[in-house]
Amino acid sequence: MKPARRLIGLAGLALAAGPAAAGSVWVASQQGARATRIERPEGARVAEVGAALAVAPSPAVVAAGPGGRLYLSHPDGRAITVIAPDGAMRRWPVPGQAFGLAADPDGRALYVGDWSGNRVLRLSAETGAVEAEVAVGRDPAGLALGVDGRLYVAERENRSVGVVDTARMARIAGIPVGDGPFALAYDPVRDRVYVANVRSNDLTVIDAGALKPIATVPVGASPYGVAIGPDGRRVVVTNQHAGTVSIVDAEALAVVATVPVGRYPEGVAILGGRAYVANWFSDDVSVIDLAALTETGRIPVAEGPRTVAADRPVPGEAGR
Amino acid sequence: MRRVLTTLAILLAAGTALAHGPTPQKVDQTITIRATPDAVWKVVGPFGGIGAWHPDVAKVEATGGDGAGAVRKVTLKRGGTLVEGLDEWKGAERTYSYRMSDPDLDALPVSSYSATLTVTPDGDGAKVEWMGRFYRGDTGNEPPENLSDAAGKEAMNRYFAEGLKGLKAKLEGGPQR
Repeated sequence: MKPARRLIGLAGLALAAGPAAAGSVWVASQQGARATRIERPEGARVAEVGAALAVAPSPAVVAAGPGGRLYLSHPDGRAITVIAPDGAMRRWPVPGQAFGLAADPDGRALYVGDWSGNRVLRLSAETGAVEAEVAVGRDPAGLALGVDGRLYVAERENRSVGVVDTARMARIAGIPVGDGPFALAYDPVRDRVYVANVRSNDLTVIDAGALKPIATVPVGASPYGVAIGPDGRRVVVTNQHAGTVSIVDAEALAVVATVPVGRYPEGVAILGGRAYVANWFSDDVSVIDLAALTETGRIPVAEGPRTVAADRPVPGEAGR
Repeated sequence: MRRVLTTLAILLAAGTALAHGPTPQKVDQTITIRATPDAVWKVVGPFGGIGAWHPDVAKVEATGGDGAGAVRKVTLKRGGTLVEGLDEWKGAERTYSYRMSDPDLDALPVSSYSATLTVTPDGDGAKVEWMGRFYRGDTGNEPPENLSDAAGKEAMNRYFAEGLKGLKAKLEGGPQR
């Protein structure tokens, strides 16, 4: 019985990022060196672990590309791992300390932040070759793509978000934010960028059209991850040091709930009305129901989960 | 020559010290103590009172009491000073969280850390957990051995373990002579 079940598991893995109706999220475990897929099959009440792929040591950031492709950065290993929808892996060497990632929805480019090199590289999403680079502020952490080919870069030691015109690979603006901007998320509904400032314990809200900060929302201690759902209603911020998640209403720009999660929560992604939070110290993923504003479960994963990426069934569209 | 190299390594590390590199490490130490949680918290709870129980500590200068934003400057007997800021202090839950303000590689070979100390009941006694998250002293890709993940892990675990041992000894009383 067991081998049969395992076979079915493998078959599921082969179709990992195929057009599963409900989509899935992927978690990068740094110490455990795994990419773990979490899915909630259509109609199922709880989410479950779908596959845990062994990858090269110390992955930090996971990003989903179009067509079910996954990318993982290895800052210590100077490399990117690319995982195809069929599970096949490739390693791309990167000339720097690869950390933040953003995959172009058109499937042509992958943007990679070089943490200690203070620059962003543009790699061919086909070959991994470095095509261009742009100098940015000190310690580029999170990356997020907006509309019109704009890339937003959390410049951690610069108290700014750099704005890169990816067509020219030129940094066209630096927007002042709080202290220690680390993670950011782009909201196409309101054309905003939300930035979590790890040292000033707040969230800066940027009007992406005007390239100006419009609000600062206090959250918990050491906000380290931020995500916005496809409907643009709720911004979810992980407070790494407080062991909580702040849920911010995008209209009111105020915290509507603070939900306790595991220890040292870091990355977060939203899929199907739920937020999935990587609890780095407690080696699990908290599932938060964004309607009920409560934690509904915790899923054990390999040691040191740092980041989460939602892999929606229809790339580039707001999957539900 | 070796001294020059060491100095160079420290200077280079200092340049990236605020850089809070991309690969964090865990530290986690626990001890059980034959005393009530309240008795343990009375000793270990005051943020500026670490000098009363941590055997490595020579001197503490503290400001702000146990309020968020309080600061303690902890000078170690073997040299170096840890400047730490209080994030959260919850007396009812017997726990506080703090983070390093400025790195001092003489004190601990790490570039940044945050930590939480918690006292919980354990049978008739108490359990104290001191856990945290840190980055190695040199967050670049080729750290020298003394500023590596392994060096940071060893130093942080030793500092936490020695502290908890000192706390236990203070509360349970040392060996009778």
